[in-house]
Amino acid sequence: MRLKANFAPWLFLFPALFIYLMVIVLPSLYSLALSFFDWNGVSADKKFVGLGNYISLITEDTVFRTALKNNLIWLIGSLTIMIGLGLTFALILNRQLKGRVFFRSIFYYPYVLSGIIVAIVWSWMYHPSKGFVTFFLEKIGLEALANPWLSDPKTALYAIFIAGVWQGVGLPMVLFLAGLQAIPRDPYEAAIIDGARPFQTFRYITLPLLRDTFVIVFATTMVGAMKVYDIIYGMTGGGPMNSTQVLSSWMYYQTFKYNYIGIGSAISWYLIVICLIVIVPYVIFISKRSHH
Amino acid sequence: MEASRKRKFSNGLLYVILAALAVFFILPVVFVAFTALKSNADLNAHSFYSFPQELMWSNFADAWNRIRKYMGNSLFISIVKVPLGILVNALAAFALTRLRFKWATGMFVFILIGMMVPMQATLVPLNMMLNAFDLNNTYPGIMFIYLGFGIPFGVLVLRGFMLAIPKELDEAALIDGCGELGKFFRIIVPIAMPAIATLFILDFLATWNEFLLAQIFITKDSMQPITAGLLTFQGQHSTNYTLLNAGVLLSILPVMFVYVFFQKYLISGMVGAVKG
Repeated sequence: MRLKANFAPWLFLFPALFIYLMVIVLPSLYSLALSFFDWNGVSADKKFVGLGNYISLITEDTVFRTALKNNLIWLIGSLTIMIGLGLTFALILNRQLKGRVFFRSIFYYPYVLSGIIVAIVWSWMYHPSKGFVTFFLEKIGLEALANPWLSDPKTALYAIFIAGVWQGVGLPMVLFLAGLQAIPRDPYEAAIIDGARPFQTFRYITLPLLRDTFVIVFATTMVGAMKVYDIIYGMTGGGPMNSTQVLSSWMYYQTFKYNYIGIGSAISWYLIVICLIVIVPYVIFISKRSHH
Repeated sequence: MEASRKRKFSNGLLYVILAALAVFFILPVVFVAFTALKSNADLNAHSFYSFPQELMWSNFADAWNRIRKYMGNSLFISIVKVPLGILVNALAAFALTRLRFKWATGMFVFILIGMMVPMQATLVPLNMMLNAFDLNNTYPGIMFIYLGFGIPFGVLVLRGFMLAIPKELDEAALIDGCGELGKFFRIIVPIAMPAIATLFILDFLATWNEFLLAQIFITKDSMQPITAGLLTFQGQHSTNYTLLNAGVLLSILPVMFVYVFFQKYLISGMVGAVKG
């Protein structure tokens, strides 16, 4: 009887645990091992280089630096613009406006589209001669600004980012909406009686009570910004001239196009470590809360 | 009097802002639809906002012929993987919440950490593993991988829900003489249906939209799902914009259908899951 009770949890866990180990845990550990080698994946010529790959990425690989920079730009842009807009939309929609659900679904639907679809749709929007963006600029008399946005190394990443905001703003918005709706009316009523003005109630009541939501929004946004791939690969493939490469896409190229398995694995472990730094506080937070 | 006038004005202003924003959000899809309905000659001769000279529904028929195999593949993969994943995750969540288990929290955190492992980090070893078992370019192979990546999120959602189910129900089951498996299937699963339904929709969409893994592990064109297939489609028809846009529109129809009818589940599921 006792023996049976001890085995049961493991039996139920077994399928998930087995698959999880085989697909996520062991492969990521193995790729850590691979990152210490200079190898192309097939030949018998496999040289141990220790931290050589990690070092050469920082010191010699200019595209790696571009990728890091682009991820940073995307990160800062996401934290400010995407979260800022998401919060703004949520605040607007939180009022007792009619048609609120309608607007919410309009702002959220791009989030359910795949990155590839977003990439194709927006590549078409940015088409130099037939795209909507060019047409729009002409209509408002700014055709001087018209540009092949996606083929210009200086503008490509930002053009993709706009598409990224279109796709991504819905998530912070619904998260903030949920957080806002959980706030009771009482603090606001008390504040109004005390003569507080709207900006003050926002700063001293709304923001503090949204603290939990902010943690979640920040964590998901940061990890998403580090892992961004589909939309960039779909719109520019990392170009022009590697100007829009990010860590994920550059890792793809190194591993699968150039067969530098060791380098590719090193890039991916850089990515893991950065994500770890971001997500560990979040995991601690979540598992603490579930103890209540 | 003053206050309500002020409120009406600010509300009116908000509506204007919301309407402008809504236009920005719907615009790309409208643009796609307009393009899809034109003939190529029409597209070249006239500007974007001109209504199609003639509604080229044939574009949709042509596009459908070419992407239909990709859609079919996506459907097959999703229909098999999603229920399977839910079963696997539910069993695990059950173990973590319902069975006396010393390592429950530690195991949960262990699984949760997997959520921040970027897929890229596992690709090469996974490729080697699939090759070793001759599972490359097979549906079982890719589904196994999809299952793996779905576990952290799935366990997170189902565990969260199961934690909230009162323990009294377990005791009732014990009295009835159910074994653990019976408790699982006859009591917990039916009660967890809302969470399962939500997870079903979220996971279906995630699987349908998945690109990176499909791109790498399914290289045979006939087997590719819609995400990878659409990129190929774009490559083949990169100058035939009307056909391409028709294809895009067709490929998002299933997703939008699910969205329109199950939006409530989607959004509440997303929110609930992320909050843990």
